[in-house]
Amino acid sequence: MILLCGIPTETPIALVREALDDNNTPYVVLNQRKFSTMKMSLEISGGKPSGKLQLNGDSYSVDEFTGVFTRLMDYHHLPELKDEPAGSPQLKFCSNLFETLTRWAEISSARVVNRVAPMGSNFSKPFQAQLIKRYGFEVPETLITNDPQLVRAFRARHGRVIYKSISGVRSIVQTLSDDDMTRIDNIRWCPTQFQAFVEGTNVRVHTVGERVFATAIKTDATDYRYAHRQSGDHAELRPVDLSDDLAEMCVKLSAGLGLAFAGIDLKITPDHEAYCFEVNPSPAFSYYESQTNQPISRAVADYLSGN
Amino acid sequence: MICSSQDASALWAYQGLRARGLHPFELVTAEMLTTTAKWEHTVGVDGANFNVTLADGRIINNRYVSGVVNRLTHVPLQHLAGTPDFEYAQQEYTALFMSWLNTLPSPIFNGVQSQGLSGAWRHPSEWVWLAAQAGLRTPSYSQSSHDEIDETLQLRRIVPDGTPTAMVIALGDHVFGQSLPPQIANACKELARLCQTPLLGIELTLGPPHGLWTFAGATPMPDLRLGGEPLLNELARQLYVNRPRRNS
Repeated sequence: MILLCGIPTETPIALVREALDDNNTPYVVLNQRKFSTMKMSLEISGGKPSGKLQLNGDSYSVDEFTGVFTRLMDYHHLPELKDEPAGSPQLKFCSNLFETLTRWAEISSARVVNRVAPMGSNFSKPFQAQLIKRYGFEVPETLITNDPQLVRAFRARHGRVIYKSISGVRSIVQTLSDDDMTRIDNIRWCPTQFQAFVEGTNVRVHTVGERVFATAIKTDATDYRYAHRQSGDHAELRPVDLSDDLAEMCVKLSAGLGLAFAGIDLKITPDHEAYCFEVNPSPAFSYYESQTNQPISRAVADYLSGN
Repeated sequence: MICSSQDASALWAYQGLRARGLHPFELVTAEMLTTTAKWEHTVGVDGANFNVTLADGRIINNRYVSGVVNRLTHVPLQHLAGTPDFEYAQQEYTALFMSWLNTLPSPIFNGVQSQGLSGAWRHPSEWVWLAAQAGLRTPSYSQSSHDEIDETLQLRRIVPDGTPTAMVIALGDHVFGQSLPPQIANACKELARLCQTPLLGIELTLGPPHGLWTFAGATPMPDLRLGGEPLLNELARQLYVNRPRRNS
């Protein structure tokens, strides 16, 4: 039995559900918005976790779940809780429910896509970059500083330079412009991350277990996620094949980070060097699947089913 | 030694390690690192490096560090409280700290992990699960959606509040702070190895009726004073003996 956790109408969940239906794989959906109808308990005895989940009027032993796909959102943002005062019984219940679910998933022997702990490397991009380098990828020359003088020198050395958040907070990658340089003293307030721009083709690689789906992105924008805003044109996506070596590197990187499912952001230079910018532990793969028909959700469903 | 200026245990260890002749041995507080420090942290073809210039003029460069006691739990940014984008700044500084701490060489007690600046902070459920794998006797653990506790406000405990416990500190092949049967001491060392935390505080209860040692909790930030002088002797030895050798 597979457990799908999140908001059922969210596209990645809906796609995995559809793939499980196609495979006739049994599953249950934990609709996060219906939290008030659920109950969960976790016990650990002699190092073995067990417990019960009451859901949709049924009761399941957690041992029944051999695969878990989780895209839980921060429950504080659920519409049902947005007006709840801090410390309310509803908030406390919700916290305990999802905490119990998460804690079980962390130690369960089920296939979990993805566990919370390994997702932590994505909290710091330069921290993750250091891990990425261990798997043979190039990483862009990066400077994090609160010293404007160092930024000037870095820009003089590398020419085109981009800046973006250090943390996992989503930011729009921007090219550092002359206009930005007039405000560069502001970085004294908080260290900021700068990177040498890497020429080449953006490739998003989704790894699911040992399966690899690579998508090339054609755009003139600095950040292809915001292609229309930055360049006026939408990015063009197409499936591409990676070399066996590069595909293997991607699989090893995801496994090394403890991620059963990952979205790896690469740039392949004209010299065929593979730069890796980031490994996303909760990739919004549906965008790539809808543009290319790559069967990513099917691969996730297969993985959850033990195939 | 990297620690909060309020970490009495770390300051005690710093004095004790200095007295054992570790030299040069610098004390860098978290507060020094966030107020008026000049940061240069690079990642790229030359690996990952950092160079921070403190307000007192000292320059800390990872290439010249040969051993670390790291006790950072968070990045203190009180001086920025109330400013616009404070939460963003907090996340950015924490991400920076995760990264520069990762450039520090071994021996390091304890290194950064993705779950904590000085070793992984784990939920009690995970500690119980790991402790059992390490061979420690563990109490039955339970939690549920209907618990009274609010974990956003209060830490969950493995044993009831008020239960007498003893803290031991595992460091390499040694356990300090309490004399334990060899089997229990070995299990404590195994737990430290399993969680990749070379200096680990482990809380135990000695329960009636059979006088069995039972796991009650663990932390990568134990009060080092509980290990006393023998802990400092071993910590000094490991910092000295395991330091990286440089050719020039």
